Parts: sequence; structure tokens; C-alpha cells
Amino acid sequence: MIEVKYFGAVAEKTKCEFEKVAFSEVSLQQLLQDLEIKYQFDSLSFSVAVNQKIVPKTTDYKLQTSDVVALLPPFAGG
Amino acid sequence: MNDSTRYNRQIILPEIGENGQHKLSKAKVLIIGAGGLGAAVLPYLAAAGVGEIGIVDDDVIEVSNLQRQVIYTTSAVGKYKVDEAKTMVSELNPLVKVNAIAEKLSGKNAISLFQQYDIIVDATDNLLIKYLINDACVVTNKPMVYGSIFRFQGQVSVFNYQNGPTYKCLYPDENSQSLNCEDAGVIGISVGIIGMLQANEVIKMILQIGEVLSGKILVYNILNNEQQKYDFEKNIAFEMNKTIFEQKYKVTKNQIEEIAAEAILNEIDNDEVLFLDVRNEEELPKITFKNGIQIPLINLESEIENLNPSQTIYVYCQSGIRSKVAAELLQRKNFKSVKSIAGGALALSQIVKEEITD
Repeated sequence: MIEVKYFGAVAEKTKCEFEKVAFSEVSLQQLLQDLEIKYQFDSLSFSVAVNQKIVPKTTDYKLQTSDVVALLPPFAGG
Repeated sequence: MNDSTRYNRQIILPEIGENGQHKLSKAKVLIIGAGGLGAAVLPYLAAAGVGEIGIVDDDVIEVSNLQRQVIYTTSAVGKYKVDEAKTMVSELNPLVKVNAIAEKLSGKNAISLFQQYDIIVDATDNLLIKYLINDACVVTNKPMVYGSIFRFQGQVSVFNYQNGPTYKCLYPDENSQSLNCEDAGVIGISVGIIGMLQANEVIKMILQIGEVLSGKILVYNILNNEQQKYDFEKNIAFEMNKTIFEQKYKVTKNQIEEIAAEAILNEIDNDEVLFLDVRNEEELPKITFKNGIQIPLINLESEIENLNPSQTIYVYCQSGIRSKVAAELLQRKNFKSVKSIAGGALALSQIVKEEITD
């Protein structure tokens, strides 16, 4: 299982702050595409972290079991 | 009461001491935004004895601000935030010099302002201005202490610290959108906590103690008290310098001159001038001048050869906004004398009507 964490407006879309995703040799890009289809993030922009480190979304990183992915949108309030 | 009595409880901290207090008194910090975050950052920096603090905000206090902008009072509603903030600081700690700057931060004033300070605090509430602050910090080589809120969550980081990663490295997409407090809702405590964390980063940088949140973003959730830190790296593909900055924020040396609709009356029969209507043909009211021409803004660049660059041109549109854009375009194309008519056709129609009825 891979854990995915959601923050800010992204968590409003997913209606949860984290979830476990069944692991099957998936790349980060594939995971993000699957999440996009599931939640329709559309224009919502966010940065992506794997194990507490922000990585380019286009990276062809192969996710390992027990990896934690986080979707971090910018916040604007102040 | 001397200074060391006032600051005794922090001076006795081994990490601060008289030396650290001296560093604080020499520091100059600029806070952009006197809203929820600014109202948390400011009193703590002032109380700790930061020598000079600038506050930039052109807003006045509204009653709906008071549940989170706790330095303001009900009787101050309608007054400028920066003026009230300055009064608050002068009572809290008269040793601090406060510069109240009741302006909107823009590409025009950012760099000259930032140059006068050591540390820039981003206490703003929209994304576009964060890129402006970020870019101006890169140009002037100042650290940017970032804080922002989404409902019960907050983010804190320090960008461009000793040439470290910037806001754009973390969030490259400048067109992204996020709700601000007015639209998303906010409680005073969350801006208070995040503002306090920003003040903490400022103090640490001045004192050179602890670890600065550079290359890391802290995300705090006040509902479950979870906090996470994420590392990010500098992206050297993002170039920023004064020239790029001026192009990006269109800091033109030539300001667009506006002319009042009333002042046009004397020029109506002047054959030397040209009246340029940049509205589309169907727009009403129709305003025609005998020495006038209509070129919709969208066609202006392609039909520019129909205009004489050395002629005086008065540009108008419906309300005076597109005409400024058009005037800017003509100035860039080296037209010698271009003015935008303030208030546009709506203002002109009043004047011309009065002229006829007179």
C-alpha cells in the first residue's frame, strides 16, 4: 500500500486527508493520472512530495510500497 | 527604565544576550500586508526590539477584520491599517521605528522598498502578489518569510535565504488559484499561529540561531495539530534579475498620462490632434469627433501604420481602462504624445451633451 496525503483545497476535493492506495508497481506519474481521473482536480494546482520531499511531477519515479505521497497546493489566505 | 530592563527576559537567554539584542535593534524588517498574518507578526517583532519595521498595506480597517486582526480596535474601523499599526507599536515599544506605508505593493515600488530592509515578510492574501514579492526578493537578494492559510491549515517557509530555493521553485505555476480568507473563511487563531511562526523565522535569521526553514515548507493543521515538513530544491531554470523583473511587471519609465474629459473641450476643433476610439464598433454611446478615428484595441497593433507617431493622440474607450492599454502600446511604439481620456466615452458623453444643451 502507498499512502497519499492531501492538503488545502486538494483535500476539499478528495473529501479526505489521506488514503491508502493499493500498490502495483505504479509510477508516480501513473498514480497522479489515476488520482486526476478519480477526483477531477482540473485547474487546481499543487506540488507533489514523495517521502517528505517535493519532486517534479514528471519524474518517472517508481513508487515503492510504504512510500508516502503528498499533494500540496499553494495557500493564499492571510 | 533602560533598554536592557525592557529586554531582560530575552537577554538572559544564552542564545541572545546583549549581543543578540544589539543585532535585533539594528535589524530592518518589511512586512507586506497588515491583515491577519501581519497583525500577528508585527507586535512580536516590535516587542522583541527589532529596530526598524516597515508595514505596507493600503487597506482600511473593516469590522469583519477584527475577529482575526487583533491589533485593531472597534473604534478604528475606517482608518488606515498601517496608521493604526504604527500607533499600536509606538505604545508597545517606542524604541522601534515604524514606517507606515499606505500603498499597494507593485512592480513599481517593490524593489526600491525592499532595498531599504534586511528581511521581507509575506503577510499577503493572494497568490499573484507572492510571486511579485518572491521576484523582488531575488532581485534585491533578500530573504522572504512566507506564510499563508487555507481554512484550518497554514504553510510557512523562508525563500531565497542565502540564495536558497524560492517560492517559484516550490510552486512553479504562476496561474494557479487558491481561495483567500475572505472567500474560504478563517479563524483568528490559525493566522495567529502561522504569523507567530513567521516572526520566529525572522528573529532566528537576525540572531543567527537555530535552523531557518529554508528549502523546507512547514504545513500545520490546527484541527489535529499535525505538522509536516517537506524539503524542496532550488530550480536554477528560473531566472530573475532587474531587467526580467521590469519586463514581467511592465515597469515602464513613461507613465501613461491621463487627461480629464472636461479638458477635451478646448481641443475638439484642434486639427493638430487626433481622437482615437479603441472600442469596438457596436459600443454605445457613439462619440464622434471630426478629427477622430476608430480602431478597436484588438486591431491597434496591426493597423498602427494608419496613425502618425508625431501627432498628439487622445485615446478613449468606454471607461478609461482599455485606452490606457492602448496608450501604453503606442508609447512602446515610440509615439511622441499620447494621452488617455479619463472616464472614457461615459465621461465624454456627459461633457459633449452639456456642450450641446448649453
